[in-house]
Amino acid sequence: MFSKGLFQSQAIRALHSTSKRSLTIPFLSTLPQNPGGVKGDVNDACLPPPSPDRLHGSVPWDVERVSAVALIPLVGSALASGGDVSVVADSILATVLLGHVYVGFQSCIIDYIPTRVYGKNHNYAMYLLTLGSLFAGVGIYKLETEENGLTGVVQKLWTASNHSEEKK
Amino acid sequence: MMMSGLLKKNVGRAVFRRGLASEVAPAAPKMKTFKIYRWSPDKPAEKPKLQEFQVDLNNCGPMILDALLKIKDEQDATLTLRRSCREGICGSCAMNIGGRNTLACLCKIDPDTSKQTKIYPLPHMYIVKDLVPDLTQFYQQYKSVQPYLQRKSVPEDGKENLQSIADRKKLDGLYECILCACCSTACPSYWWNQEQYLGPAVLMQAYRWLVDSRDQASTMRKEMLQNSMSLYRCHTIMNCTRTCPKGLNPGKAIAEIKKALATD
Amino acid sequence: MAKRISGLQREVLQVYRHCIRAAHRKPLTNQPNFVRYIRTEFSKYRDISRKDFSTIEHLLRVGNRRLKMYSASEVKDIH
Repeated sequence: MFSKGLFQSQAIRALHSTSKRSLTIPFLSTLPQNPGGVKGDVNDACLPPPSPDRLHGSVPWDVERVSAVALIPLVGSALASGGDVSVVADSILATVLLGHVYVGFQSCIIDYIPTRVYGKNHNYAMYLLTLGSLFAGVGIYKLETEENGLTGVVQKLWTASNHSEEKK
Repeated sequence: MMMSGLLKKNVGRAVFRRGLASEVAPAAPKMKTFKIYRWSPDKPAEKPKLQEFQVDLNNCGPMILDALLKIKDEQDATLTLRRSCREGICGSCAMNIGGRNTLACLCKIDPDTSKQTKIYPLPHMYIVKDLVPDLTQFYQQYKSVQPYLQRKSVPEDGKENLQSIADRKKLDGLYECILCACCSTACPSYWWNQEQYLGPAVLMQAYRWLVDSRDQASTMRKEMLQNSMSLYRCHTIMNCTRTCPKGLNPGKAIAEIKKALATD
Repeated sequence: MAKRISGLQREVLQVYRHCIRAAHRKPLTNQPNFVRYIRTEFSKYRDISRKDFSTIEHLLRVGNRRLKMYSASEVKDIH
């Protein structure tokens, strides 16, 4: 009964009755927005799109699709061979995966921390992502040169969990 | 076949009624509860609420819009909604009925009277009053894709821009869109980035002009979408296709634009 | 010490200032009418709670829209 009432009171909130702060990330500073999200006169077209830029347009999407397709045989072969893949194949797998994850996180940031609302914080989030990806890149290099590579790590984790189950 | 049967039955009943003066026992009232979102801009400090209305389904049309108009006529004249054609061609009565964005005039009333039907305005829009959302931005976005024929040359005979049957076929499933905004307001990406992402309805119209063989501005049209916000906030969630009351497929149109831009 | 003004309060004051400025671009004889209208409209919601953010945001949107409409040069007078 109570939960139903609670659900309804939440469901009823439309945008006009929802204050801005409940739609934004609490600890990040935000920029002032156009009233009603509308710029210019009612009969104007909405703000002109930014100048065409393939790097921010079709390129990330292409990278995402190509890497997604490329991951299928890479992961498939690694799984099929039970983790015994060559260092080259393993490093290609790790790099493509990193690229895919980078593009994915990038579009999350553009979605949820857009420049329009958060201003500089958008750039900081992007820097953080680039930094993290560089670290991951170094990590992949170390994994490939000093240890068994990505598949090796997964293999180890797999067998470790199996061991702990056997102990139980 | 079924229709004619129904007709006969009705005619039969009418004849029966006229023929015998004795009163036929009225059918038991089928009271259905509608919960409708109410908010008035005249009292902005009051929070929006759901108001309950009871409608007898025996003397009410089959569609949600009929019930809404019945409520407006008989119970509460302050209930505010947009409607015009009552046959799904104007796109005015788009609203959220039972959790799904659809047109009130195309949505049948669930005959199960034990269940309530909840009616909200389109989600994540600014509300003008009750079930009327502010669509200014949606129309501005539509205007921004320049939805009209653009040509540098006029046809030689000075009459019509001709098109082959195959080229015309490409526009099927695109031109039928009535811009009711059901799909755009069902799209989570559009909820978060309404100001910059164009939304499925507008992108489908952008594609409609992109594939039109008579249009010569496709380079310009493609360049307009070549940025991170206008088009690429679509993550193929496909809520648009699920909710479209006209059964169109905006998700596919957006995918086609992406393909055209990728191989550009 | 003056009380610190919140962001929302500042926005309200900004709208008020814009309105008064727009009123002063109207024909001289009708300016008092505009100012009176602005003052009555703002004082209608004077006693809204400071914490009622959603309502204040809504009123700000309404105010901005009305400002845009009335500041058109075709509007000469108001009653």
